[in-house]
Order: sequence, then C-alpha cells, then structure tokens
Amino acid sequence: MRRFAWSMLLPALGLILSVTPRLADAAGKTTLVVMIRGLDNPYHANYAVGAKELGKKLGLPVDVLTSEANSQKQFADLKAEIAKTGGNMVVSCDPNEAPDVVPIAKMLEAAGAYWVNWWNKPPDVKVASYPHWVSHVQFDAVGQGYYNAKELFKTFKTPNQGKIIAIQGMLANNAAIGRFQGLQKALKENPGVQLLQWESAEWDTTKAYNATKALLAAHPDVDGVWCANDNMAMGAIQALKEAGLAGKVLVTGTDGNPEAFDAIKAGYMVSTEFQDSRYQAQFGLTMALAAKEGKLDVKSLPSKYRSWMIPGVKVNRDNVDKFVDEYIKSMPKYDLSNFFANWAGEAP
Amino acid sequence: MTTATAGPGRLTPFRERLPGPVLATGAWFQRTGIAAQLLTLAIVVGIFAMGTGGKYLAWSNVQVILSLSAIPAIFAVGLHPTIVAGGIDLSLQGVASLIAVFVGFLLRNQFNSHDLGLWIILVAMLIGAIAGAVNGLLNAALRIPSFIASLGMGWILYGLAVFMGKAVNVPLLDTRIGNFASANVVGIPLIAVVAAGFTAAVQLVEDRTRLGRYMYAIGGDEVIARQAGINLGVMKVALFTAAGIIYGLASLLLTCRLGISTSRMGLTLLFPTVTAVAVGGVALTGGIGGAKNAALGALIVTALNDGLVLMHVSPYIQQAVNGVVLIVAVALTIDRRKLGFIK
Repeated sequence: MRRFAWSMLLPALGLILSVTPRLADAAGKTTLVVMIRGLDNPYHANYAVGAKELGKKLGLPVDVLTSEANSQKQFADLKAEIAKTGGNMVVSCDPNEAPDVVPIAKMLEAAGAYWVNWWNKPPDVKVASYPHWVSHVQFDAVGQGYYNAKELFKTFKTPNQGKIIAIQGMLANNAAIGRFQGLQKALKENPGVQLLQWESAEWDTTKAYNATKALLAAHPDVDGVWCANDNMAMGAIQALKEAGLAGKVLVTGTDGNPEAFDAIKAGYMVSTEFQDSRYQAQFGLTMALAAKEGKLDVKSLPSKYRSWMIPGVKVNRDNVDKFVDEYIKSMPKYDLSNFFANWAGEAP
Repeated sequence: MTTATAGPGRLTPFRERLPGPVLATGAWFQRTGIAAQLLTLAIVVGIFAMGTGGKYLAWSNVQVILSLSAIPAIFAVGLHPTIVAGGIDLSLQGVASLIAVFVGFLLRNQFNSHDLGLWIILVAMLIGAIAGAVNGLLNAALRIPSFIASLGMGWILYGLAVFMGKAVNVPLLDTRIGNFASANVVGIPLIAVVAAGFTAAVQLVEDRTRLGRYMYAIGGDEVIARQAGINLGVMKVALFTAAGIIYGLASLLLTCRLGISTSRMGLTLLFPTVTAVAVGGVALTGGIGGAKNAALGALIVTALNDGLVLMHVSPYIQQAVNGVVLIVAVALTIDRRKLGFIK
C-alpha cells in the first residue's frame, strides 16, 4: 500500500506541475517563439538575437527552439512548447525542411497560435488553408543565385566566358533549390559559361572543402566556384588556397556572414547577399502578434500577402565597406509598421 | 616445401604444391590481416580507373585522395581501440566541435588577444584526454554501456561547443598548423605521411606492448580477461582517454586546415569514421583489427567517394552508396557467434 502511494506521488506531482504553467501562461504574457536549425550557424543564431531584442523591448518572454537539423526534434520541441504555454504564443519559424511545414501548421492550428513561416514550404501547400498561418515569407532565392552567378561570371578572364563548378546546399531546402535555379537562369543567359559539375555540401564548411578539393582534381581548369551559402564558400576558399588558386578563381555565397565580407575585401570572394535574420525574427513575431491582437485580419489578406518574398541586401566588392558599417557593426532599427512595405513578389 | 601429411593414396593439396615464395607471400599477406582490404582497395581503384578512362589515376587525383584521407584516418585510428575492446566511442562529434571552438578562441584571431601558438597542440590533447577519461569512467565505473555514454557525452560536448562558440565562425590568423596540414613533401601530401607514421606507431603499440595485448584480450572475451588479472576498469579508461587524445589531435589538424573555427565542425565526422573503421576490417563485436585496418578503411572510403565524384555519380545516391558499403562491411566482419541475438 505504501509503495503504491509513493509510486503515485511522482506522476501526481508531474501532473500538478504540468498544469500550473498552463494556467499561469494562459492568463499571462504571450511567449515569443523562434524555431531555428541551431545556434551554431550564424544566420540562424541571429534569429534568436533579433527575437530576444524584441522580447526585451515588448517585455515578453522569448523561447528559442533548435531542431539541430532534425525534423523530429523540431516537432517534439514544438509540442512541448505548446503544452508549456497553453497555446499563448506566437511563432516565427524557419523549418528544417520544406515538408515539415504541414505538421507544424496542423499543430499550431490546433493550438490556436498565430505564426509566420520563413523559407521552406512545398509549393503545393497553400497558406490560406490554415487560418492561423499568417504568412510564408522567403527571400528571392532564385534572385540570389542569379545575382551571385552574374557577379561571378564578370570576374572571368573573358567576362561571361568560362567554366564553373557549383556547391549546393541541402537539396530539400527551398533556398538551395531556388538559388540553383537562379544559377541555371544565369547560365542560360550566358551560353559561354559552362557548369562542369555540382556536388551537395549540405550547407557545411567541411563538406564543401572536401567536395571542392575533389572537384578541383576532376576539373583543374575552372574559372569560378558558385556556392549556395557563405559557410560552404569558406570551405571552397580553403580548398582553392591549397590548390594555389585562391584570388584567381573566385567564389560566391549567400547569407552575409561576417567572414564573407572579410573574404570579399581580401579578394577571395566576389559577392554575397545579406539576409538579416534578426529582422526576419522581429518581423515574423511582430506580424503574428498583430494577428493575435486583432490588429491584422489574416482572413482578409489576399494570397499575394500570404506567401511572398522580400529582398536581401546585395553585397559585392563595391559596397562591402559601407555595408559592414551600416549593418554589421550595429543592429539597425527596424521599421516594422507596414508589414508589406518590402513586398517584392508573390511566392508559390 | 611441405609434403602431404595424410596417409598413402591421398593427393597433395593444391595449396601445398605452390612454389615456396608464393606460399610465403600468401602466408604473410594473411598474417597482416589486411589482405581483404588491400584487395578491396585494388578493386575500387580498378573500377574507377576504368570508369574515368584513367583520370582517376592521375597524380593530382591520387594526391587529393591521400590528402583527404589523412585526417579521417587519424580519426578512425582514434575510434578503433574502443571498438576492438568491445565497446564504441561515439563522442567524436562533440570532441571535434569543442576543440574547433577552443582553437578559434585561443589561436591568434580578430576577436580577442589570445595567441597560444603551438601550445594549442597540448590544449587539444588535454581537452580530448579529459573528454575521453569521462567517457571511460562513465563506462567502467558507472557501468553505462559505452554506446550510450559516449553518444551522450558527444552531445554534451557539442552543446558546450555551440554555447561557447556563440555562432561566430572565427577565421584563424595563425596559419602555421594549417600550412603544415596542407603542405606537400616530394609531391606527397605531408599530412598523409604523418597519418601513415602515426598509424604505424599505434600499430606498434598494439602489437608489441602489454597495452595492446590487453586490449585484444578484453575484446576477445571480457570474462576471461578479468580472470587473467587484467584490470578492466583502468584499461577501459585508458583506451577511451587515448581515443580522446587522438580525436583532439585530428580535430586540431582539421580546424587549422579549414582555416576557420566553426562549432558545427564535428557534425559530419561520425558516419564516415565509423564506416572507415568497419570497412577496414575492425569487427564491431571486438577483438579483431588494428590501427592499420582503421587507416586503410579510411583510405578505401575516401577513394570510393572521390571516385564517385570523378564519375559524376549523382550526389543524390552518393550517400546511399556509403550506407550500402557500411552495411556490407559490418556484415562481413562481425562475429555472429558473439551476438546471442541480432538486435
């Protein structure tokens, strides 16, 4: 009998503890939640930086959920967060992979939490099917790949005539798919440039280093290396340095990591496009909060405002110094009053 | 030259009718324990040499293969002692990431005034040793299965690395070790020479010292090893510590070679290292295989992946190929008698 009583104590305690925060949060402050891949990646870590600054400004608690590139962990963490806050939360989410967006949408719909999605969404999933899904926003990945490709082609001995190799990101990410499409678009417009081969380095510096080394052995006479992000560009630059080609064979990336600007200034890299994830987090959370507080009527938004694109900041050798002063040495004050002021096109 | 030992009327076995030198070479080959691996390497090289019209055998490509296989080989040599002793050390992701972050913090960089220079080598070995010792203690003293203990430690260390790294990728301004890692000596990548020498040294320790013999004894049968008087606890901690030190050195080399410290560095290392060890002929059930097996396995895996790139094999299936190779390697090397039930 005594053992039974003790064995019931712990579950009872757990039940009480799990209900208490729910009651507290349901009546209390809205939690700002950002879902990111991990704090080890500067781009993703800055989502958290932006969210925390917003939380401080508004006096709201902030929770950061990291998937560690594991979709299942992402779902589990979200479930736990919903239980913890009782649904009294708004979410700015950058899903691990595009298909993850459907389970996330269903969970948040059931919890009654408004949210904004970044980057990854399958084209056939419609935001309008989920009333609590305020918007899906992405950068113009095709435009990014295209811009960086064009900048790279300009650096060849004979501009727009040459051979390149490409290092792609995680092949199931919209960013990777879009940027590669941008590269293809630039290649079609410039038939003098040939893409010899591509490999996927999954956004990782080490993998990009290994892949570039192998590709350089297979194709020793390339004129440029197109990389889908800055992390991989760093790995590619190192491989080029070992082959004695750094500075002669240039590299492009995207994201706008601080070391990328150093590489542009040093002459190893041509261009990148800066995506301010601090802004993304603040924007997403503010928009979801507006929906929650009734200031933004989600149902009445046209489809072009439910799934859309914003521009990044294009950085190359011409504007890198000015850019670093404005954006990197400090966090700019963001104007979040008109959500659609930077609308740059509808996304699928 | 032998004669048949059977009675009158039996024919001499074919094997024993071969000339002396051939028999002796064959026996040596079998004794080294890497016969199958060398054959595999020859087959892999042959297939890709034919498939790429000889481009695979170009000296520049061979240099790339040697250069890219060196650091995975050192990681594999670090992993294999714990496997031979019947356990496994999966903490390599965490150790590598943590050391990468420390290297970025302590070597000359643009964010702080530290400039440890070559002392970083000792720091890397020390961090690796501490991590390894904790793994060993968790396994030996707390009796937690090494698979779980080391995996958990790996994640703890990775989390620590991310926390300390604060998502800043630190370019390394002190490039001495990086230059060492990418230099060539008479056309051969220096790092491959270092890896080969290191492998030979570890193999020597395994063949000629008590430490090595005890390792095989524990891997062969723990109960008998204990009854023979081997202190299992001390040995296990020693092996995990050794693994940690080796991971430390390999991680330092890799970070310096990349020229940039990123806290994610360790994440892509575990699968290739385990594959390398298995392909090299180190049985996951323990007791079989040495440093040369591990290093050779790394070479085979690198040669395979390089060949896949050279032959324009779709990146979508390259990962699958590695998976198949791992399964086949383990299937051929494990001792099923040791596993009561295949879980």
